[in-house]
Amino acid sequence: MTGDRKPSAINNAVPTNASRKKLNRRKFLVRTGGVLAAGAFGVVPLRGWAADPINIGALYPTTGSMAQIGTGCVAAAKLAVDMVNEAGGIKSLGGAKLNLIVSDVQSDTTVTRTETDRLITGNKLSAIHGCYASALTLIASEVCERARVPIITGSSSDQLNKGRSYTFTPFARASQFAKAQLQMAKLVSDQAKIAVIFENTAFGTSTSNGLKELAPGEGVEIVMFEPYSAGFTDASPLINKVKASGANTLFSLSYLNDLILIVRTVKQVGLDIAINGGSGGFVMPDFYKNVGKAAEGLQGVAHWNHDVNDDAQKVNAEFKKRTGEFAFEYAGGLVAQTFMLADALERAASADPKKVREALSTLDVSSGYAAMAPGGKVKFGPDGKNVYGRPVGVQWQNADLASIFPKEDARAPLLKT
Amino acid sequence: MWETLAQAVINGLLIGGIYALVSIGVTLIFGVVKIVNFAQGEFVMIGMYISFFLATQFGIDPLVSLVVSMPVLFVAGVLIQHFLIRRVLGPNDMPQIFLTFALSLLLLNLSLMLFSANYRTVHTSYSDEAWHIGGLYIPVAKLIAFAVAMALSGLLWVFLHTTDLGRAMRAASQNRDVAMLMGINPNRVFAVAFGTALALAGAAGSLLMPFYSAYPFVGQVFVLMAFVAVVMGTLGNVMGALIASLMMGIAESLGIQFVGADSGLIVVFALLLLTLAFRPSGLGARRGR
Repeated sequence: MTGDRKPSAINNAVPTNASRKKLNRRKFLVRTGGVLAAGAFGVVPLRGWAADPINIGALYPTTGSMAQIGTGCVAAAKLAVDMVNEAGGIKSLGGAKLNLIVSDVQSDTTVTRTETDRLITGNKLSAIHGCYASALTLIASEVCERARVPIITGSSSDQLNKGRSYTFTPFARASQFAKAQLQMAKLVSDQAKIAVIFENTAFGTSTSNGLKELAPGEGVEIVMFEPYSAGFTDASPLINKVKASGANTLFSLSYLNDLILIVRTVKQVGLDIAINGGSGGFVMPDFYKNVGKAAEGLQGVAHWNHDVNDDAQKVNAEFKKRTGEFAFEYAGGLVAQTFMLADALERAASADPKKVREALSTLDVSSGYAAMAPGGKVKFGPDGKNVYGRPVGVQWQNADLASIFPKEDARAPLLKT
Repeated sequence: MWETLAQAVINGLLIGGIYALVSIGVTLIFGVVKIVNFAQGEFVMIGMYISFFLATQFGIDPLVSLVVSMPVLFVAGVLIQHFLIRRVLGPNDMPQIFLTFALSLLLLNLSLMLFSANYRTVHTSYSDEAWHIGGLYIPVAKLIAFAVAMALSGLLWVFLHTTDLGRAMRAASQNRDVAMLMGINPNRVFAVAFGTALALAGAAGSLLMPFYSAYPFVGQVFVLMAFVAVVMGTLGNVMGALIASLMMGIAESLGIQFVGADSGLIVVFALLLLTLAFRPSGLGARRGR
């Protein structure tokens, strides 16, 4: 009986067959059009008998609240790929060129998940880099882990090094940033008295607790430890409190807008205090544009800075030529990351993501663009962390960021404010 | 101790002046047109962007651009009243609430699209200046903003009490039906009220620009305080809103200073609850009502 029913079901479907044919015709047209178009564009590489290009995925927020930074990252990623390709591509693969496939994660965690999936399933990728913000990178790295595609990132969350074997973090971790900030406080005064003000959600609370735990070990005293609600209309009352605390160094763990207000208010009050603004928005060209001269002498921490060595200076000059701004930490670090991938591809002599992961895990460089990082050496430990990774302390000097800490990375003297 | 206290009061008073401009606009619209304008904060944002672009493109000082932002927003207010609000005025509140809320979302997202989420700051010669008197300091930009805000509030009071149109607005706000029977054209009065309220929001934007960054969400920071002030100062009462705004500025500042930096708003809302407990219709309510 059931056997009899089946044909009838097919018979019932007859009228839709006509529409399916129509759809097929449309599909056919699309495909032929696609083939024609592909032919038109594809002729050039075919003629050169070049090796297949190697696909590198790039996940950055080029729209949404982090759009400006994301766009800067993409500019850096393109610059890096151009540099690798102009130098002859991957020689062990017949001079294969790197092909950057950019995907917009829209500053949104849900979109990041789907975009990472889509990027991996839709393309034959050898590796991925992204996504600037740790919250986004955590999700992308999870998807990469499952799909067995290596991801290399400048994001600083320590969480990225837990339980992952396809994630590589060549730069300093968040916990190292806190330690560096405390040590920098001692540059200003032998008896550092620190006021820590932090916005009272996850970011500010977790970072400030890290500072509180590390402070006794570094021999610095925290005289004020105060949460505040982000997005205030007026920083004066808060700064009034800082003034009353008698601190000589202010750590502000704040989002950009609050930080701008805080810095401007400190100058207005005429409070003589060294300010450490941390990383993130503070070490971006935009910060100086918003704060102006009041930013001079302010300290922060970064995982990369453009004066770290000659290679970095070259990258910075080229980035400046293309975008008009100096290469911010993430952009410069991204160029180094691309060269680390190129080094791994060269040694793997394969575009297979698993082999690229193997090669990345045995990466050991101390010269060239791949090693352009504070510390000057990159070698990944079993947790994907660069064993030589360390942050660099920076200071705003003449509308530019100068490296001032630690001694071996300092490229300019500390500007006393 | 006294110095810290005095400084906290000064800080609160100065920012309270800005709250006042926003809340007077909200209360004026509520009093006369009888609707709650949820988009008031977005008009502050527009005022800021007008001043920002005039400053960066033509080098016009944000305080001078007040003469541009106020008329532009006045006209915008009249148009919005005429083409949008007028059509939803009726016995049912829901369409009005949805309309102004939709307007707020639209303006917010439009500005996100046009200007991006970046912070925009204008630097003037007086932006980071302050007068130091004894151990106290008074930021110049905020003092100017406060003075202009108080002057504009005073002008509004004079307008409402001495001109025919102003009296007509007060009449419409006290009893719309009787006012209409007395020959007052409600549409004209409503349009002027809405326009004036938006002009005040524009003024707030221009006055903020020398010391605060413009970004699409900036209005929401100020509109929350404005709504609290409007309720505390009795809905529709201009003087009440002004006084409540100044009180809230001071309460917030004292809260941050003496309770905790994340407790400014807690103190403000505690003050609101206390006010409502003892004077349920707000500070500006007449006795016997």
